[in-house]
Amino acid sequence: MVPLLYFQLLGAALFGIGLYGVLARRSAVLIVLSIELMLNAVNINLIAAASYLNGIGRFDAFDGQIIAIFVITVAAAEVGLAFAIILRMYRNRGTVNVDEINLLKW
Amino acid sequence: MPLAFLIPVFSFLACPLIILFQRWLPGRGAPLAILAIGGGFVVWVLTTISFLGASPASPGCDVSGITGALTCHFSTTWFEAGIPGVVADVDQAIHLDWGIIIDPLTIVLLGLITFVAVGVQLYSLEYMKGDPRFGWYFAWQALFVASMLTLALADNFLLLYIAWELVGLCSYLLIGFWFENPGPREAAKKAFVVTRIGDVGLLVGILLLWLNVGSFSMTEAFAAVESGVLSEGTTLAVAILLFLGAMGKSAQFPFHVWLPDAMEGPTPVSALIHAATMVIAGVYLVARAYPIFAASPEALLIVASVGMVTALGAATIALVSTDLKRILAYSTISHLGLMMLSLGALGWTAAVFHLMAHGFAKALLFLGAGSVMHGVGAHGDVDIRRVGGLRRAMPLTAVVFSIGALSLGGIPILSGFWSKDEILLAVSDHLPMIFIVLAMLTAFLSALYMARAMFIVFFGPEGEDSHHAHESPFLMTGVMSVLAVLAVGFGWISFNWPGAFGGFGSFVFYDHAEGFHFNIVLAGLSIVLAVGAFVLVWLIYVRRSVSIESWQTRLAPVLRVVGNRYYVDEAYQWVIDRVILTVSAGLAFFDRAVVNDVGINGPADVVRKAGVALRLHVTGHVYSYALVVALGVIALAIFWWLRSV
Repeated sequence: MVPLLYFQLLGAALFGIGLYGVLARRSAVLIVLSIELMLNAVNINLIAAASYLNGIGRFDAFDGQIIAIFVITVAAAEVGLAFAIILRMYRNRGTVNVDEINLLKW
Repeated sequence: MPLAFLIPVFSFLACPLIILFQRWLPGRGAPLAILAIGGGFVVWVLTTISFLGASPASPGCDVSGITGALTCHFSTTWFEAGIPGVVADVDQAIHLDWGIIIDPLTIVLLGLITFVAVGVQLYSLEYMKGDPRFGWYFAWQALFVASMLTLALADNFLLLYIAWELVGLCSYLLIGFWFENPGPREAAKKAFVVTRIGDVGLLVGILLLWLNVGSFSMTEAFAAVESGVLSEGTTLAVAILLFLGAMGKSAQFPFHVWLPDAMEGPTPVSALIHAATMVIAGVYLVARAYPIFAASPEALLIVASVGMVTALGAATIALVSTDLKRILAYSTISHLGLMMLSLGALGWTAAVFHLMAHGFAKALLFLGAGSVMHGVGAHGDVDIRRVGGLRRAMPLTAVVFSIGALSLGGIPILSGFWSKDEILLAVSDHLPMIFIVLAMLTAFLSALYMARAMFIVFFGPEGEDSHHAHESPFLMTGVMSVLAVLAVGFGWISFNWPGAFGGFGSFVFYDHAEGFHFNIVLAGLSIVLAVGAFVLVWLIYVRRSVSIESWQTRLAPVLRVVGNRYYVDEAYQWVIDRVILTVSAGLAFFDRAVVNDVGINGPADVVRKAGVALRLHVTGHVYSYALVVALGVIALAIFWWLRSV
C-alpha cells in the first residue's frame, strides 16, 4: 500500500505550487487557476486521509469524500463568480493584470 | 388692574405681525403699530382709574412698608427648579415668578411712555412717508415701546433685565435704521457697545443680589435690604453695580458718548429715545431700586456726584454745539444728570416729576427739530448757523418749539420750571453747598442753550438754508401741539389744588407723601437766572446789541476744549487704540502661536505624519495582501508546532 505520507507530500507540493501561483502570477485568470490548484491539493489530502482513517475511531471513508464534494461544488461556484468579476474588470479597465488594478492603494 | 400686563403685550404682538405681513397689511402695518400702542394707552387709562380707586384692601394690593405707597402685585409662576421633595435642601429650590408691579411710579411712567409713543408714531406716519423700510420702522417702534413698557412693569429683576436688553437691542435697530450710511451704522454700534458696558454692571448687580437674597423679586430684595440681611458693603456694591447699568442707559458721564451720536437715527426715534424710552430707563432703575440706594449714603453721594458732573459738563457742551439735534442731545444728557442729582439728593419725587416734565418737553423739541429738518429739506444735520428766522415759514413749529425750549429753560409757569425748582430745593436741603451752586449754574446754562437754539433757529436773521422752508403737515404739527399743551400745563399738577388731589408729591412719593415745596429765595434766584439767560441771548442773537466776539477770542482755549466735548471721545479712542488693541494683539499672538499652532495643529501634525508613514503598507495589490496572509498562516503554524513540541 502506498504510504499516507506520499499523498500528503503530493498535496503539499500542489498547495505550494498554487500558493506560488497566487502570489507570483500577474494575470487574474491564472491566479484563479492557482486557487483551484490549492483547493484540489486540499481535496487530495482529505480523500487520502479519509481512506487511511477508515474504521479508526469514529471516522469512516465517507467523511472526507463528502467534504471533498462540497469543496468541488464551492470551487465551481467560486470560479463562476471569479470569472464574472474578471470579465467586468476587463470591460472596465481593459486589463486583467492585477499590478495595474490598485485602486485601494494609499 | 391685573390686566395691565396687556399694555406691552399688544405691541409685542404687533411687531412680528408687521414684520411677517407688512406687504399685505394696510399702510405697511403702521396703523397696526399705532393701534397696538393706542390699545396700550387705553388699558393704561383703565388701569390708572382702577388704581386710583384701589385701597390696600383690594386684591393683590398693599401699602408697601418700604416706599409707603400703595403697591399692587400680580404674578404667576414662570418656572420652578429643585422643587421641595425632589431636592433634599429646600433652600436650593428656585421659584421664579414673573409678574407686574403697579404703583404710582409705574403708573406715571407708563402714562409718559404710551402717550409719547402714540404721538411719535403718529408723527412718524408723515415723517417716514416714502421710506423703503416703512413697515420695518413701525415694527421696531412697536417692539421698542413694548420692551420699555415691560421694563416699567416688571416686578422682578430678571424680567427687568430681559426688557432692559430688549430696549438696548431696539435702540440699536432704530438708531441704525438707515444702515446704508456709515454714520447711523457706527452710531448704532456705539450705542450698543457703550450701554453694554453698563449692562454688565447691572447683570452682576442683579446676580449679587440674587446670591444674597435668593430671589429675583424686587419686593424681597428691598425687604432684605431694609431688614439688614444684606451687609452694608454688599448693599453699596449692589447699588454701584445697578447704577453702572443706569449710567450706561441714561448716558451719564463717562458713558454719555453714545447719546449725541444716536441722533443719526430718524428724528422721531430720537424723540422717543430721549423722552420716553431708553434714557429714562436708567433713571427709572435708580428710582425703582431706591430702597437699595437709600440704605447706603455713599451710593447716594456717588449718584449725586455723577449726576452733577454729567449735568454741568453736558450743559457746557450744549452751549457751544452748532447742530440743532446735538444741542438737544446734550441737553438731554444734562437733564438726565439733574434727575440723577435729584435722586442722589433724596429728591425722589422731584426726579420723577422732572422726568415727566422733561419727557414731554424733549419729545416736543425733538419733534420740532424733525419738523425743521422736514421743512428745510435737511438730511442729517441742521446747522443752526445756516438756518434762521424760520418763524415766518414755520409759524406753528416756531411756537411749539419755543414752548418746549422755554419749559426746559425753566421759565415760570411752564412745566420745566416747577420740576427744576423741586430739584434745586432737594439739592439745597440734602447736599453740600457746592452742589446747589453748580446746580444753579447748570440751570442757568440750560436756559442759555435752549434760548440760543430757539432764537437762532426761529427768530434770528434768515439763514441760507431757510429760503425754501415750509410748514410741516397737519399730523406732525398736531402731535406737537398736544405735547406743547402738556409742556405748558403738566407742571401745574404738582400743586396742592383745592379738592381731593394733593399734588404730584402726594401720589408719587418715596417714604412719605410730600406737599409742593416752594422756597421763595431759590425760586426767585432761578427765575432771575432763567429769564436773564433768555434776555441775554435775545440781546445777543436777535437785537444784536450785545457782542460776544471779544469774549469768544478771550475764552478761545476754553471754548476749544468744550467744543471738542472735553475730548472724551478722543480719550476713549486713545484707550481703545493704545491699551485695548495692544492687549488684544498680545492675546491674538498667544492665540495663534500657542493655542492654535501648538495646541491644535500640533497633535494634528503628529497624526498626519504618522499616517503618511504608516499608510505605505497599503499597496493596493491583492497579491501582496495574500502574501501577508500566507506568511501569517505559516507563522501561526510554526508557533503551534513549537508549542506542541
